[in-house]
Amino acid sequence: MKEPVNTYQELLHQPEGVRDIYGAENARRSQVMDNIMHRMRLYGYEDLQTPTFEFFDVFSREIGTTPSRDLYKLFDNEGNTLVLRPDFTPSVARCAAKYFMDDKGPLRFCYQGSAFSNTSTLQGKLREKAQAGVELIGDGSVEADGEVICLLIDALLHTGITSFQVSIGNVEYFKGVCQAYGLTPDQEMTLRDYISSKNFFAAEDLLKNMGFGREDRDQFLRITDFMDDREALEKVRAMTGNGRSQAAIDRLMRLYDIIDAYGYGRYVSFDLSMLSKYYYYTGVIFRGYTYGTGEAIATGGRYDNLLRYFGKDAAATGFMIQMDAVMEAIQRQKIAIPGRARIQKIRYTEDTYQEALTRALALRRDGIRAVLIREEPEG
Amino acid sequence: MTDTDRGAVGSEYLTIALTKGRLADQTMELLARAGYTCEELGDKKSRKLIFTNEDQKLRFFLSKGPDVPTYVEYGAADIGVTGSDVIMEENRRVFEVLDLDFGKCRMCVAGPAEAGDLLRHHEMIRVASKYPQIAKDYFYNRKHQTVDIIKLNGSVELGPIVELADVIVDIVETGSTLHENGLMVLEEVCPISARMIVNQVSMSMKARRIREFIARVRDAVNMQ
Repeated sequence: MKEPVNTYQELLHQPEGVRDIYGAENARRSQVMDNIMHRMRLYGYEDLQTPTFEFFDVFSREIGTTPSRDLYKLFDNEGNTLVLRPDFTPSVARCAAKYFMDDKGPLRFCYQGSAFSNTSTLQGKLREKAQAGVELIGDGSVEADGEVICLLIDALLHTGITSFQVSIGNVEYFKGVCQAYGLTPDQEMTLRDYISSKNFFAAEDLLKNMGFGREDRDQFLRITDFMDDREALEKVRAMTGNGRSQAAIDRLMRLYDIIDAYGYGRYVSFDLSMLSKYYYYTGVIFRGYTYGTGEAIATGGRYDNLLRYFGKDAAATGFMIQMDAVMEAIQRQKIAIPGRARIQKIRYTEDTYQEALTRALALRRDGIRAVLIREEPEG
Repeated sequence: MTDTDRGAVGSEYLTIALTKGRLADQTMELLARAGYTCEELGDKKSRKLIFTNEDQKLRFFLSKGPDVPTYVEYGAADIGVTGSDVIMEENRRVFEVLDLDFGKCRMCVAGPAEAGDLLRHHEMIRVASKYPQIAKDYFYNRKHQTVDIIKLNGSVELGPIVELADVIVDIVETGSTLHENGLMVLEEVCPISARMIVNQVSMSMKARRIREFIARVRDAVNMQ
C-alpha cells in the first residue's frame, strides 16, 4: 500500500463553525434533547423529519429567515440550486402543505436536527446549530398561541433551567399604529428597524423629522413600555387609540390569562417593541431568554401567511429551541440535568460471564442502563 | 419577578464595558451626573481590571473600542459604551439604546481634491479604510459604486499619498490631519458619536434595572 501523502494531523481539524460533541457533553445534550422532545410528544406533537437540503426557493427572500448570502448553496446534477436548511419552519410548512393539503383540523409536528447558516468568520458562532421545535398548523386561536408558549416553558423547565423569561410581543400592535398614522411601507420599515433594535431615540428623531407632534410621538413610542403583568397591559390598552392595536393588546391579555391558567404566568413578560426581523411572523411572537448565553435560547411566533406560499391557507404558530445556547446556559449556570441516569458497570471474568449477563439483562429489562466490562482473571 | 430573586450567574451586578481612553472619562462624567459612580475607576495607579461599586452593584471594565460590542453581544457585559463607528463596523447583535452626544466626529470619504471626480462616475476605484464594512456598505448600498476595499490598520491618510488607494474612508474630527497631508473631505458618510449598547438577554432578564439605568442616563444627556 502507498503511504498517504497527508500527515494525520492535517486530517484532525474540522472547518470553522462546526464541532465534535462527545463524551459527557454529548450525554448531557442527548438527555436534554430527550427531555424536551418528551414534553413535546406529551402535548400530542408528532415527530417529523424533513430533508437536510431543499430547493433554494423554499428559503427564498419572501419566505425565508436568512439572507441569501448566509445560505449554504449547492447544485444538483440538473443545475438546480439547493440549500442546506437554515431553519425548519419553511420545510415543515412545505411538508404540511404537500401531504395534508385537505386536512382541516390542526396538525401538530415536532422536530429535532441541525440547521445551517454560513455566518461571517471569526465571530465565534456555530454554522451548524442543533435545534428542536414544534409547529402547530391550522389553528389560529389564542389558545393555540397559549399552548405553544406554555409548551416552550414546560420544555425549558425540563432542561433544568429555572431562571428564564419568555418575552411576548404582538406585531399587530405596531402595524396598527403605523396604519393609523398612514406611514408609507418605507417609513414603516425604517421605524421597525430602529424599534426592534431598541434604538428608541433614533425612532423618536425619525418621527420628529416626519413632522409628528409630541403627543403623536408618545402614542407611537408607547410601544417601548415594558410590561410584566396584566395590569400594565390594561394601562397601555386604555391609552391605545386605534382598533387594530387595541385588538392586539386584547389578544395579549387573553393570552396572559391562558398562560396563567397553565400556572406559568411568572415566566412571561410583554414587549411590544419586539418586532422580529423575520417578516413571515404575523401576530404574537416570543423569545426565551436566560443567563449565561448572549442570545435568545428560543424564538417563535405566529406565521399565518407562510403556508399560502405552498398553496395551503392555514394559520400556524410554533417555536424553535436553540440547543447550543441552552447547553451553554446549563453549563454556565451549573445546572444538574433532570432525569440523567448513571450507567451501571457489571464486571465479569470468563467464568462469571453467564451470571453477569443475566444481571445486565434484568437491569435493562427494568430500564436501567447497564454495561458489561470484561476483566482478565488475576495472576 | 425582580432580578435579585433569580440568583443565577451574573445576575447581581450590572456589568458595563467602557472604551479605554477619553471616551471612558467622558462616560464616567456622564454617569456621575446620572447618579452612578465608581471610585475605584478613578484610581489611576490601580492595576485592577474590574472595578466595582458595591453599593450600587455596578461593575466596570475597560477594553478596546472594537471589543466592546463583542463583550456585550456575548453577555460578558450587560451594557457597553463605544463609538457608533465601531458599532456599525462590528455589526453585532446588540441593542443600541442611546446616543450619548459626545465623542462626536464624522465618517467621511477623503482624498486629494482631484479624486472627487472618481466618486461621480461609478468608476472602479480603490478605497483604503480601517472600516471595511462601513466603506463597503456606503459604496455598494448607498452609492451603488463597485470598489476595491483595502483594509489598513492605521495612518490611513498615507493610502492616497503613496497611491495605494484613490480615496479613504475614515473618521474626521477637525480635518487638520487631512489638511496637512493635502487631502480633503469629499463626501460625508454619516455622523459619529458615542452610543450605549445593551445585551439582548440582559434587556429582558434585568429589564427593570437596565431601563432605569437608561432613563437616568438619558435624562443626564438631555440636561447638558
